[in-house]
Amino acid sequence: MNVLDFNSKHCERIRGQLDAYLSNELLVETTGEVLKHLETCESCSLALDSRTRVREALRKAVATQLPPEGLGRAIHERLRNVQPGYFRQFRSTNWVLALAALALVIFAGAVGQQWLRVRRGRRLVSSILLLGVSDHLHCAIKGHNYPEAANPPDILRAKLGPTYEGLLQIVESKLPGFQVLEAHICTVPGSPRKYVHFIARGRGTILSVILTKREGESLPVGRLLAAKVAGGATLYKARLEGMDVAGFESKGYFGFVVSDLGENEVTHIATGLAPALRKALNGEIKNRPSGAPALLVLHALVPLPMTTQHL
Amino acid sequence: MFYRPKIRIEDFEAAAMPHLADLYRSASLLLSNSAEAEDLVQEVYLEALKSFHRFELGTNCRAWLFKILFHRLHHLRRRLMKASKLEAFASPAEQERLMAEPPVPQVIQDEDILLALKKLPFDFREVLLLADVEEFSYKEIANNLKIPLGTVMSRLSRGRKLLRTELFQVAREYGIGSESKEPRKGESA
Repeated sequence: MNVLDFNSKHCERIRGQLDAYLSNELLVETTGEVLKHLETCESCSLALDSRTRVREALRKAVATQLPPEGLGRAIHERLRNVQPGYFRQFRSTNWVLALAALALVIFAGAVGQQWLRVRRGRRLVSSILLLGVSDHLHCAIKGHNYPEAANPPDILRAKLGPTYEGLLQIVESKLPGFQVLEAHICTVPGSPRKYVHFIARGRGTILSVILTKREGESLPVGRLLAAKVAGGATLYKARLEGMDVAGFESKGYFGFVVSDLGENEVTHIATGLAPALRKALNGEIKNRPSGAPALLVLHALVPLPMTTQHL
Repeated sequence: MFYRPKIRIEDFEAAAMPHLADLYRSASLLLSNSAEAEDLVQEVYLEALKSFHRFELGTNCRAWLFKILFHRLHHLRRRLMKASKLEAFASPAEQERLMAEPPVPQVIQDEDILLALKKLPFDFREVLLLADVEEFSYKEIANNLKIPLGTVMSRLSRGRKLLRTELFQVAREYGIGSESKEPRKGESA
C-alpha cells in the first residue's frame, strides 16, 4: 500500500480536477492523468467516491419530486385556450406590418417619383434660362455691344424693327433706375435662335432684358420649380455661369432678366417687368388676325411705324 | 418577412410535454413552494408555444425549454431580490465552511439531501441541478444562465462541496450515522 501525503501538490491538483472529471468535462489527456493518479491514491479515490455517491443520491432524491397530477392537464387546457388568441395576434400583427410596409413602399415611390420629376424639371428650367444667360454673356458682357452713351430711342426702335419696337417703351418704363443703352436683335454663335435684346445700365452694372421665341419648348409647371407668380406670370430663377437670371414665358416667347445684381434683386426687377411684357406678347398672338403679321398688335398697343421685321 | 409557419398545437405538445417532469423538478427545487413552481412551469409552456415558430423541430427541445425556464426564473428572482434583498452568493460564513473537506454520511436519505440542497444559496443550487441532475454540459449551463464558463465550474465545485457539508449537518441533526470513509489529513490510503 502506498503512503501518500494528503497535502502533496499532486493530490491537491487532482482534487481540483475531480469535479470536472465527475462531469465528464476534462480533456482526454487530463482524464488519463486523473485515472492514473486514482489507481495509486486511495485518499483521492475515496474523495471521488464520496462525490459520486452524493451526486447519485441527489439524482435519486430529485427524481422523487414528481409534478402534481393535474399540472399536465392544466397546461394542456391553457395552451388550447390561449392558442386562438396568439394566432389572432399573429395574424393582426402581420396585417398591420404588411399594410405599413405597403404604405411605406407607396410613399417612398411617390416621394421618389416627385424627386425625379423635380430634378428633371430643374434641369429643364436651367437649360431654358441658360438661353438668356448665354446671350447676355456673349452680346453684352464679352461682346460689349452697347454704347457708353445711350442710343436715341428712334435708333433703338429702328434696330428692333416694327415687330418689337413697341416693347422699348415697356422696358424703359419698368426699369426704374436703369437707362436703356441699346436694343437690337442678335444671335449667339452656333445657334440659329434670335434674341430681342435690351441692354440697360444702372446700379453700377449692366442688365439685359431678353426675349426669344419658345419654338415648341415650355417651362415646366410645378410649385417646387417656380420662384413666384407675379401678375399671372410664373417666374423661375437660377444662378448660371456667374449670373443671376429670372425667366418667364408668354404664349410664344421666353423672357429673361439677366444681371449680376443678386438673385433677389433680379427676381424683383423681373416681377415688375414680366406681367407687362407678357401681356404685350400674348396680346400679339391673341389679337393677331389670321395670316396677319404680328406687328399689328404691338402697333395697336404702342402705336409706332410698321415694318415687316420678325424674329 | 411576414411568413410565419402554421403552428400545430399537437406538434408543440409532442415536442415539449415529455419534459414537464424535468422542468417542474428544477422549478420546485429552486423556488420556495410548489405553487410557485407550477405557475412558473405553466408560464414556460405558454411562452414556448408563443415562440415555437422559431424552434427547429428535431433539435434539443429540452435545452430550449430549460433556457426559457431559467430566463423566467431569473426575471422572477430579480423582482424578488428587489423586494427582499435575497442573498445572491454565499455568505462569508459559508465561504469559511467551504474551505474544509466535509465528510459524507454512509447512508444518504432522500429527505436529507433534498433538505441540504434547499439550504444552498440559489446560485449554487441552480448550477448543481443543471449539471448533476439534468446533466447539461458546462457550455449549455453557461448559455442558459448567461454566465461565463469559469463561473459555472467554480459554482459547481463550491456547490457540491457545500452540499456535502450541509448533508453532514442535516444527517447529524437528525441522528443518522455520519461515519465517513473520507480519510483525514495525512491518512494513508
